[in-house]
Amino acid sequence: MNRRSQQPETKQVEHISFVKPHIFDVTPDVKLLWMKEVPNDTVRLDLFFDAGITRGNKSIPAIVHSLLLSGTNKHSSVEIHERIDALGGFLDTDISFETAVVSIYCLREHIREISNIVADAIQNLAFRETEVEDVLRSMRQQFAVNQQKVKYVAQQQFRKHLFASNPDYSTISEESDYEDGNVMAYKKYWKEHYLEGLTRITLVGDLEVDEVDALIDLFGKWAVDGKVEHAGGFQFRAERIDFPKEEAVQSAIRMGRFLFPKSHEDYIDFQMLNTILGDYFGSRLMSNIREDKGYTYGIGSGVMDMNKTGYFVIVTEVGKEVLENTLQEIKFELDRLQNELVPEDELDLVKNYTLGQLLKSADGPYAMLDMYNGVDMYGLTLEFYDEAIRKIKSITPERIRELAKQYLKFEDFLIITAG
Amino acid sequence: MIAFNRFKLENGLTVLHHFDSTTPMAVVNTLYNVGARDESEEKTGFAHLFEHLMFGGSVNIPDFDAPLQRAGGESNAFTSNDITNYYDVLPIQNIETALWLESDRMLSLAFTPKSLEVQRNVVIEEFKQRYLNQPYGDVWLELRPLAYKKHPYKWATIGKNIQHIEDATMDDVKAFFKAHYHPANAILCIAGNISLEETKRLVDKWYGDIPASLKPERILPKEPVQTEYRELTIERKVPHDAFYYSFKMPERKNFEYYVTDIISDALGREKSSRLYSKLKKELKLVTSINAYITGSLDEGLLIIDGKLSDGVSFEELDKALWPLLEDIKKELMTEAETSKLLNKIRTVKEFQEQGLLNRAMNLCLYELLGDANGVNEENTLYQSITAEQIKTVANQLFTKENTSLLRVKSIKE
Repeated sequence: MNRRSQQPETKQVEHISFVKPHIFDVTPDVKLLWMKEVPNDTVRLDLFFDAGITRGNKSIPAIVHSLLLSGTNKHSSVEIHERIDALGGFLDTDISFETAVVSIYCLREHIREISNIVADAIQNLAFRETEVEDVLRSMRQQFAVNQQKVKYVAQQQFRKHLFASNPDYSTISEESDYEDGNVMAYKKYWKEHYLEGLTRITLVGDLEVDEVDALIDLFGKWAVDGKVEHAGGFQFRAERIDFPKEEAVQSAIRMGRFLFPKSHEDYIDFQMLNTILGDYFGSRLMSNIREDKGYTYGIGSGVMDMNKTGYFVIVTEVGKEVLENTLQEIKFELDRLQNELVPEDELDLVKNYTLGQLLKSADGPYAMLDMYNGVDMYGLTLEFYDEAIRKIKSITPERIRELAKQYLKFEDFLIITAG
Repeated sequence: MIAFNRFKLENGLTVLHHFDSTTPMAVVNTLYNVGARDESEEKTGFAHLFEHLMFGGSVNIPDFDAPLQRAGGESNAFTSNDITNYYDVLPIQNIETALWLESDRMLSLAFTPKSLEVQRNVVIEEFKQRYLNQPYGDVWLELRPLAYKKHPYKWATIGKNIQHIEDATMDDVKAFFKAHYHPANAILCIAGNISLEETKRLVDKWYGDIPASLKPERILPKEPVQTEYRELTIERKVPHDAFYYSFKMPERKNFEYYVTDIISDALGREKSSRLYSKLKKELKLVTSINAYITGSLDEGLLIIDGKLSDGVSFEELDKALWPLLEDIKKELMTEAETSKLLNKIRTVKEFQEQGLLNRAMNLCLYELLGDANGVNEENTLYQSITAEQIKTVANQLFTKENTSLLRVKSIKE
């Protein structure tokens, strides 16, 4: 027998060691999570705020987020960045549905000083007129560029229609949001959602305890008062809506439905179903629509976690002329999962693959902290992952089919196309 | 410091071994010394199309991905104008599966007509998604032939036009494999909690019997020294006017490459950079501006790109930009500024070295440049850069005759 046609023996991942970070209470409701064991000089500090895009209208959350380091009465935005750059630091900011994050990346000898600069910049944000104008001008241009991307249009319209029952969640940006700056409203938002809106701090870096205490003193004054509430119980209509774009050569598809929050008993099993359908290179959607038909460069599916719920979405961009064929093939794959049992060898492959990816997600202090945060934010513990390993190993084809019948009916989906 | 061992098989394969006992994962990285610059002008986009075909099954294994996934791993690849790089990340206990798969596709591919047909379509959709269906998506298809007249950098990795991909035949594919995909034209890096002895045993087992081929000789048309200012204006249905200034810069092996990198950082990497603070913040001529280098192995480009504010003309921007480039040519950079730039480089380096995959890829790239240990000397090289060197190199870069300017003029729908 030709040795090259035989796969070498493989072993399933047996054990994954999950490491819990050190946890400090900034206040009874706000924690600092700290991963200290880092084999080099790098540090990452993340500040989480109750300032996601659903916390205001007229794009105010995104505008204020962009203005955070735009200058104080004493220092211009360029000066602030100059000082951080001089210390070799990098800033990163991110805003999602329910959270806004400000991150600092630097070497440990500079974390104290850079933190002081960032704290001062946010605390004493002056909303200088020229800076506000500059940010609005840039955002207006970016908005115009985005409007030309079918992917962006589909994503926005999907949001608008999926969250139709709740205006805070469904209102999408409009060009007029960036026209004349409403500084009063920005200031109010900044005070409520940043100066009184810190929800957690995460830290990776080989620091001394007193340095961590100093960071708590510095940022703790922004801690939110009490527990943060989030919306749930969204209603939407399962329908198809097309947004045609004459000159587009590809059409974007976003389709999906609501599921459940991360704490739901079906969550982990559904992740296995999701992986089989569309969440790895060998998934059914990729095998059929890319690797067999060549309709697209990529297609995937995923579960988006939110505080009170979660939703499932299929995402792709396909040749305009094969849009209808693609939707048919997606339906075919959803139906197949409901009507046929997943073959054992396919399920085994996905089990091994998922365990391998889980092992990778826990590799190193940065990945491990993100993993811990990814459950702690939703009120879960590391037990979630131990349970995940058990469930991944034991899930059956029957269970996959049962979940597909419950959650993956094509006619239950909101379907948005653009292009 | 990234420690490594190096050994070579008789068939010419260079192997790097990097030991890291702290991770449960392993990386198998394979760099093939072939990129879009090795294509003929009539058959562009081939190196990249070929990268796709490498996942379409090899001589003894019908499917590349499934066995790797069964071993808990995943894989991907990228093609540049210079190289094609493949990597597998998987739990260390299953590393042999990656070596089995990678060695078999180095030995020979399955070359099925179905795989060629499907991947041709996938690449055409990729072309549409990235280059045609995005505002400003096609600028590199225009800028490259403006900046390069002879060197194959004049086309993008995706290819000069879709037709070349549509016309690709099985004979073309086979010839490309034969010329470029064999041990002497590859660098393999094995990284993870695995000893040198075990690495040697496994590499010898799976790669030892792959026949040797002659390393292809690379004779690329040399780009003549640019002696005239070039400009091109294209009209597109985009929301705003955009500009792309490009300046020829030294090749990767040259010390001046690193100096040029620092110059691009000084001009437009961060929100405290010269162009950003002057042209965006102070004069409000632009809504965005960046400076960066293409990172090419042969003579590359320093690019300054951005978008004009409404009502600002290309000429106004040009008038404001050149004096800033003159400054960096005339005045020695202050120590505060150089130290700021070098501090940032140090931070980036520390973060990059965290990832096992990053380390494995960089070792291979530096080995291609001459010595894998270059990865450990890079920071010292940067830190040795002086203000005088910056001034000298800026004088070579920023002349009218060394400039190619692409303007994208916005027209209404």
